[in-house]
Amino acid sequence: MLEIDNLHKNYGDVVALDGCSFSVQRGQLLGFLGPNGSGKTTTMRSVFSLLKPDAGEVRWDGRVIEPDARLRFGYMPEQRGLYPRMRVASQLTYFGRLHGMEKRAATAATVTWLDRLGLSDRADSRLEELSHGNQQRIQLAAALVHDPELLILDEPFSGLDPLGVQAMIEILIDRAAAGAAVVFSSHQLDLVEDLCEDVVIIAEGKVVLSGPVRELRSRSSHRYLDLEVAAGASRNLADAFNGFEVVDVEPGRIRLRVGNGTDLEPFVQKAKTLGAVRQFSYSPPNLSEVFREVVEQ
Amino acid sequence: MNPWATVALVAVRDFRERVASRAFQLSTGLTVLLVAGFILVPTFIDTDGTTNWLIGVVGESPPTLAEAVAAGAGDDTTAATTSFDTRAEAEASLEVGDVDIVVDTTGVIVTRDASNSQLTTLVATVMASLAIAEQAEELGIDASQLTDLFVAGPRVESLSATSEGNESDRAFAFFATIILFMSIITYGSWILIGVIEEKTNRVVEVVLGTVRPHQLLAGKVLGIGVLGVAQVVLIGIVAVTVMTIQDAFEIPDAAGTVLAWAFIWYVLGFSFYAVAYAAAGSLVSRQEEAQNAAFPLTMMLMAAYFIASFSITGENPVLRISSLLPMFAPMTMPIRIAGGDAQTWEIALSLSLMMAATYGLIRFAGRVYAGGLLQSGSRVKWREAWSASE
Repeated sequence: MLEIDNLHKNYGDVVALDGCSFSVQRGQLLGFLGPNGSGKTTTMRSVFSLLKPDAGEVRWDGRVIEPDARLRFGYMPEQRGLYPRMRVASQLTYFGRLHGMEKRAATAATVTWLDRLGLSDRADSRLEELSHGNQQRIQLAAALVHDPELLILDEPFSGLDPLGVQAMIEILIDRAAAGAAVVFSSHQLDLVEDLCEDVVIIAEGKVVLSGPVRELRSRSSHRYLDLEVAAGASRNLADAFNGFEVVDVEPGRIRLRVGNGTDLEPFVQKAKTLGAVRQFSYSPPNLSEVFREVVEQ
Repeated sequence: MNPWATVALVAVRDFRERVASRAFQLSTGLTVLLVAGFILVPTFIDTDGTTNWLIGVVGESPPTLAEAVAAGAGDDTTAATTSFDTRAEAEASLEVGDVDIVVDTTGVIVTRDASNSQLTTLVATVMASLAIAEQAEELGIDASQLTDLFVAGPRVESLSATSEGNESDRAFAFFATIILFMSIITYGSWILIGVIEEKTNRVVEVVLGTVRPHQLLAGKVLGIGVLGVAQVVLIGIVAVTVMTIQDAFEIPDAAGTVLAWAFIWYVLGFSFYAVAYAAAGSLVSRQEEAQNAAFPLTMMLMAAYFIASFSITGENPVLRISSLLPMFAPMTMPIRIAGGDAQTWEIALSLSLMMAATYGLIRFAGRVYAGGLLQSGSRVKWREAWSASE
């Protein structure tokens, strides 16, 4: 289990981390969310001792992380980077060996991953000769080649096309299923909602919300009411619901934010006066809305 | 994982990637060709390397003239005579360059111009001694008595018996200093560029996820250092081989001890500066800033070189003090050792300071490296880099 325990980090007057704490179990796939500058990258770098927090500690399996423990971690930084002129296969083998693999094992793992990513024919190409998308795949392989117990990926989906996103999703699910603790950050919240059971949301250097996505949504003090009426209805729906919090409105369709536990009867009555009701739904916020609620507070 | 295994992995990668690069192969090949060329070209111009003098003689040539002139001129010179009936004929021949000098046996030497004064002096001397021998014979003095007349003057002795040896040792040590200077300038900038490349490519964050900064630093310095030394040795072997084939090379008497000291100081000096260059590289993010970052080091290096080059003739206070300071010692101490000027305690002190300083520099550089590597954008100050890391 990875434990981030009360991390603090200041850069001059800028507070990067202000008591950040959360944990990730083996086999868990955790989405690590937060607006830009909230401290995600700083937290991830702390795990790899790339920077030293002013206070707090990071533990793996209950112990403060030693250099040897980090050999079993995999890291894909936000700022991608490999050796551009080095050949793909020798590059992956090199990273495998830096993580303590024997030469033969590293070579075998390289072959396996290149095969799995469909890049076997590019083994002897220089990295810079590959397309951007393929370079991203190699970057992922460099984080995975030693079969890490903990995988940390900073914005793994950024810059990927839909096929690349799908491939990345499959690999993350697969690694978690294989028993690795997987943490990744992303701004694509719809995707995170589909992919992860658990998320941590960080803002201004501390965790503002964490837990299973389903629970976070239902725990919200708000609900969303979606109403759709027949196209013939001429009245402006926004006028009809004047006084309520309108999230989104378009001809024949409106989304309102209401308090959890609101009596729905008046809304039903009102809807009936507007025309034939096509849809009437009452649901908890989606992950994006939860995110905005906690971050904008 | 054994920390040295990590250092070795990094070193092997840096070594291999450079050896495999087209640029390295080309530059090495070109340098080897240039060095061989510089040694070979002069002999192509003067094919057998010998000088042939032709002496025109008006009248009957003394039988030993040519032999005596050639002997006086030393190796690689031959001399021959050719006879003319009249002085006019001989001078005409001299004018067009068929003969190099004209000797009229009546006692006149004619030269084309003043250019070949060595030949003129030799011919005059030989003619004079031939005349002395002839007159001595007429006076009834035989050859051995004549030799006694010309007994050499006082013998010259020096208080410092090996003075001449020290001079050549010092010259050899200075030659080693030049090689060290060139190596540090060349391979130091490779290290500098290599470090900046890793920052620019941003690969450093991935690498530092597993490798500790001082290991990355040590591996890089070791990999490029070994490659640099290998290149210097290769060029040296080519140069010595070519010169040996040509018989133009004599191993200096100095060899043994001076060579050993030169090697020790080379390794120490190279390590010290290589580590410093790596640290300087970690402070900047772009290749354009590389020379700025390295400027203080280059200045120090130049200062050391100048102290060494001004001190080749002998001991002086600046040389003596600088030979104790780590940034200068690798270039100045070998010269003092070769000259026999360095006291044992000075050598011991200088070596200890050098090793302590290199160790301190590795610790310092490792920390600056860690702090500087992950900061991109503007140039990082030493102090910021120092406090940014643990």
